[in-house]
Amino acid sequence: MPDFTPDALIAKVKKGDKIDRADLRGIELPRANLEGASLRRCDLEGAVLEGVVFARANLKSASLREAYLVSADLREANLENADLEGANLEKANLAGANLSRANLEGTNLIGANLTGALLTHAQLDTASLGGADLSGATLTHADLAECYLGGAKFRKADVSNANFSLANIEEADFTEATLSDARFLEVQARAARFTRASMVKTDFSKANLNGADFTNADARRMNLTGAKIEGAKFTGAKLGGVVGTGLAADGAKADWVDTSDLGDGSKRVLEAQVSALLSGLGLTSPPPNRGSKRYFGPGDVLRNATLEFPEGASIEIESLFEQCSIALGAGTELVVGAGGVLQGCQIKGKGSVTIHGKFIERESPGMVGITQLVVSSGGSLVGAVKQAEEATRFAFEPGCKLKMRIMKHG
Amino acid sequence: MVDRTEAKMTDSKSIVPAADRKTLVEEGTQFKGSLSSSCPIVVRGRIEGDVVAPSLTIAASGAVHGKVKVDDLRSQGEIAGEFDADLVQLSGSVKDNTIVRAKSLEVKLAPANGKLQVVFGDCTLEVGEQTLASDTGASRLEDGVKEIVAPPSGKNKGSKGTTPPVPSTGETGAA
Repeated sequence: MPDFTPDALIAKVKKGDKIDRADLRGIELPRANLEGASLRRCDLEGAVLEGVVFARANLKSASLREAYLVSADLREANLENADLEGANLEKANLAGANLSRANLEGTNLIGANLTGALLTHAQLDTASLGGADLSGATLTHADLAECYLGGAKFRKADVSNANFSLANIEEADFTEATLSDARFLEVQARAARFTRASMVKTDFSKANLNGADFTNADARRMNLTGAKIEGAKFTGAKLGGVVGTGLAADGAKADWVDTSDLGDGSKRVLEAQVSALLSGLGLTSPPPNRGSKRYFGPGDVLRNATLEFPEGASIEIESLFEQCSIALGAGTELVVGAGGVLQGCQIKGKGSVTIHGKFIERESPGMVGITQLVVSSGGSLVGAVKQAEEATRFAFEPGCKLKMRIMKHG
Repeated sequence: MVDRTEAKMTDSKSIVPAADRKTLVEEGTQFKGSLSSSCPIVVRGRIEGDVVAPSLTIAASGAVHGKVKVDDLRSQGEIAGEFDADLVQLSGSVKDNTIVRAKSLEVKLAPANGKLQVVFGDCTLEVGEQTLASDTGASRLEDGVKEIVAPPSGKNKGSKGTTPPVPSTGETGAA
């Protein structure tokens, strides 16, 4: 028998009495209001607490094993070191709760709200967190091995040094999260999103990353040994020191990636060589039928020049170009590097243009008929773009600066 | 009609947290006039008029034509008019005579042979922190040059403080 009847317990909480260390096993308190209650070290094993309000309650070191807490309100509750093994917390609200060092092994947290929660060193192995929202949560050193995390949100969460090995994170969202030194060995991560995430030295050995999105992620020294990356997107990712899959990686997609050690954009690899980089099988020479490469280095200044680049050429500009007219042949790739400035220039032709530096037009439109325009996060563009006949493909990364007009063909 | 969704429609007792409330303009619904909301707005139908809200999400089936001021704009549908936002994510289509002003804009690159991510008509994009702070009008493009271009080195004294087209100095070749 519990130490208190439900009514007696509620009355004591209302009076502000502490209920610490009480034996409350199996107590039934559905939808009771126990906001701010002090239940430290209480034994609530098997308790029926559906919809209970435990907001800001102190449940430090309490036992809630096998407790039924569906839709419970545990906002900002202190559950540090609590034992929640096997508990049902489906759709519970744990926003801002302290669950550090809590035992959540095998817990049902499907659809739970864990935004801003503290889960450092928490044990979550084999727990179910499908569709749960962990945005802004801190999970450093947490153990999430073999968890189900399909569709879970980890936006801006900190999961550095956490263990996700053998977990299912399909379609989970790690946008702008910190994953440094985290282990994702053999995870199922199909279509997971890691855009703009900080994931230095993250280990994805033998992971299934097909269709995952690493756009603009800082994934330097990431380990992809044995990983599958068919259809994964890497445009703008920082991949300096990445350990390749060791397998053919032809299905990966990227217009360019940053391969500099410091992730400062000083070294780039374009689309044609990204697969080789990700496979770790060595960068290859451009295909023989490609046009020649032109490079205009930092410190050079070119004025009033007319430049024509033949079909298939690849041009990278890190210099200052002033008042220049540039004609691009079909399939040409023009990259204005981070240090490149095209001031008062005009670009015409059926090529693709990527701007990491600056472009300012002279005569409007400053670009005419280009097939593709990408302005990266550090790029700036002032001017007008007259689209190609088949409509120009555009991409703009967050952080780019634009003062531009887009005009239809004709 | 404009619906205010409050969790499961079958459970009259449930109270939806404020953070989960959304104003929904469902597919097949056309709304004309001004719409101001303190909740996020989701548009699967069509709005013609002014919109003020913390966020506006336009589904692929949705269209918004008018003057919009929001913090967060995500559109997979059709937009036309004047859009002021902090963060903008665009796919779908941008019609003629549209102006988008944002602190941050994201447009993803479509696959080489796939459908275009965004179909742009004749439109204007003003993107960057300085955009919302600056005043309106045609001076923006000129202002942009001053803001974006680093001050020229001593070699280019003639162009200091001016806006394009920069007068030719007559110098040639270089480098």
